Amino acid sequence: MKIKTTIAAACTASLLSTAAVGQTVGFAMSEFNDNWLTVLRLAAADHAESIGVNLIIEDGQSDAARQLDQINNFIASGVDAIMIIPHDASGAQAMTDAASAAGIPLVYVNRYPINLDTLPDDQAVVASDETESGTLQTFAVCQILRASGAEGKFYILQGQLQHPAGIQRTKDIRDVVSMDMCSFMTEVDLQVGNFYRDQASDLMTNWLSSGEDFDAVIANNDEMAIGAIQAIKAQGIDMDDVIVAGIDASQDALLSMQAGDLDITVFQDAPGQAVGGLDTALALARGEDVARLITIPFKLVTPENMHLFMSEN
Amino acid sequence: MADRSAYGTGGLAFDKSRMTWPNEVNVFLALILLIGIFELLGQLLPYMNNQSLLFDFNTKRDGTILNMARIKIIILQVSIIGIIALGSTQVIISGGIDLSPGSIVGASVMIAMSFAQTELVNGNPNPKAIFGPWAMDLPVIVPILVALACGIAAGATNGFLIAYTRIPPFIATLGMMVTARGISKWWSKGAPVSFPTEEFGLIGNGLGGWMPVVIFVSLAALFHIILRYTVYGKHTYAIGSNEEAARMSGISVSRHKVMIYAIAGMLAGVSALVLSSKNLTAQAGMGLMYELDAIAMTVIGGVSLAGGRGSIVGTVLGALIFGVIISGFTYLRLDAFYQEMVKGVIIVSAVVLDQWRQRRAAART
Repeated sequence: MKIKTTIAAACTASLLSTAAVGQTVGFAMSEFNDNWLTVLRLAAADHAESIGVNLIIEDGQSDAARQLDQINNFIASGVDAIMIIPHDASGAQAMTDAASAAGIPLVYVNRYPINLDTLPDDQAVVASDETESGTLQTFAVCQILRASGAEGKFYILQGQLQHPAGIQRTKDIRDVVSMDMCSFMTEVDLQVGNFYRDQASDLMTNWLSSGEDFDAVIANNDEMAIGAIQAIKAQGIDMDDVIVAGIDASQDALLSMQAGDLDITVFQDAPGQAVGGLDTALALARGEDVARLITIPFKLVTPENMHLFMSEN
Repeated sequence: MADRSAYGTGGLAFDKSRMTWPNEVNVFLALILLIGIFELLGQLLPYMNNQSLLFDFNTKRDGTILNMARIKIIILQVSIIGIIALGSTQVIISGGIDLSPGSIVGASVMIAMSFAQTELVNGNPNPKAIFGPWAMDLPVIVPILVALACGIAAGATNGFLIAYTRIPPFIATLGMMVTARGISKWWSKGAPVSFPTEEFGLIGNGLGGWMPVVIFVSLAALFHIILRYTVYGKHTYAIGSNEEAARMSGISVSRHKVMIYAIAGMLAGVSALVLSSKNLTAQAGMGLMYELDAIAMTVIGGVSLAGGRGSIVGTVLGALIFGVIISGFTYLRLDAFYQEMVKGVIIVSAVVLDQWRQRRAAART
């Protein structure tokens, strides 16, 4: 790694003269399997290459303990700054303590750590406000159902039970439905699809086998929404009769929307978080003052404005 | 034991009939019992409005008194892991264990799907293209052969390691599990591979969505015949019962093991094809932990982890028990937490009951 760093520094130093060149940043990802996180990871790698930073990316394999070990490895190899997407936000204190004791700046990306209010000066958070996504999504479903005069019966497809985004998005759905304007909606059932397309498809088929009427499916991410759509289409139901909503605005989802299947998704800015996270980490490494919390906004995506997002995630 | 004296010495005849009762019958009874419990709960729980798991007396949506949609999903949702379990059954009967098929699925879906992509999606160029135009819209046989080749290569590697370096199957396949998962993530740097050709989509969605079931049942029938009636099958049982004795009697144990693991790998390849086709996408995380579900299905079906005992019929019944649990819980609208807890309890109880039955049978002879 050292040789690589030296070569990278030698090559780029002559071309560029930004302060970042030759610096090394460790990036501990919560997992490599997730599609949306892959977009974020590739964006971070691209941005690092373009500004001449050596970015070391680790796969936490959805294990908070493994992530802490990776941070300690980064510290031991003397990186200039650390970025982390914590698998478990409640385990953040130990990570903060480890980086802080070594005097290395730390940036939490994508998720709010539990110790957000007590972060030391050389640590920051770059994330989207997770309460926005489920709210935007469910409110849009509510508006469509209200306009069509439908009964408003819906299913919820949740992500992993312990996953903070899944928990928050599901809570948002229920919060919106408890508002006066949307209280006509009724939740038929909730099941856990673990963010996976295949599991969501099987769950939807199980629901369809009960013969229960429904008007909408609200999924915690696009992959599960697409799984539900595949199951609904396999039963020969017209997609115009069902509202399906996801979150992420992934490529697959936007093409599904273009085909008239998916009705609603929410854009979470993966490149924005990646670039913001890396720039913040470098700013902290230079000793600059940065805001403790930098939020990247969510945006609602519907067939009307989807063309704006086609090349984003 | 106490009631045994009631039969006197004549009790032997009674015991004998109990002993010849094949284990599959027990597994089948367990399946019926489980369905009965769900049907009963459907009648007893007030919020269920007397719904039934397998029947549909009131609306007859399918034109029969059966709820065909639910019967279909019960089998459909275990078909893909069931195909893997057919391989695990053979491996476990031979006295081995295979931890790698889930990861082999992960690697195979990524590699095979790269040869199954279509050039245009809704008129746009495929945003997930892995290779250039030369690999677009290829005949469906190409990804099929690629997936099978990946599976066989990985499986045969397992077999060679186990047979010729003499490392325990647990270690060899653990290595393959980690390596193959690494390959699946490395192949496209974690990005999903999507938008296959229409023909490729038929592997998992053809015949009105019944295709995975048809593939699973056909393969189960095929391997049932192979295990029961061919030399390959007899040698597999022989090696599992007593490897030394099998070697003494002239069976080429090493070569046979390579074959068993290669077949298990090939079945993982088939499973990968069905999985990626059914979902019209390939993702690096696909197949995660499938091996454990597959092993659980075989164990519930009465395959002994000590080797030498078990059958394909048992494994298929074990898979159906899994399917009934998953659908039963959605039907009762119970959360996924309980589903996992009950699955765990059922796996352990199946083995405890089986051991108890065997000990009792042994005590009587």
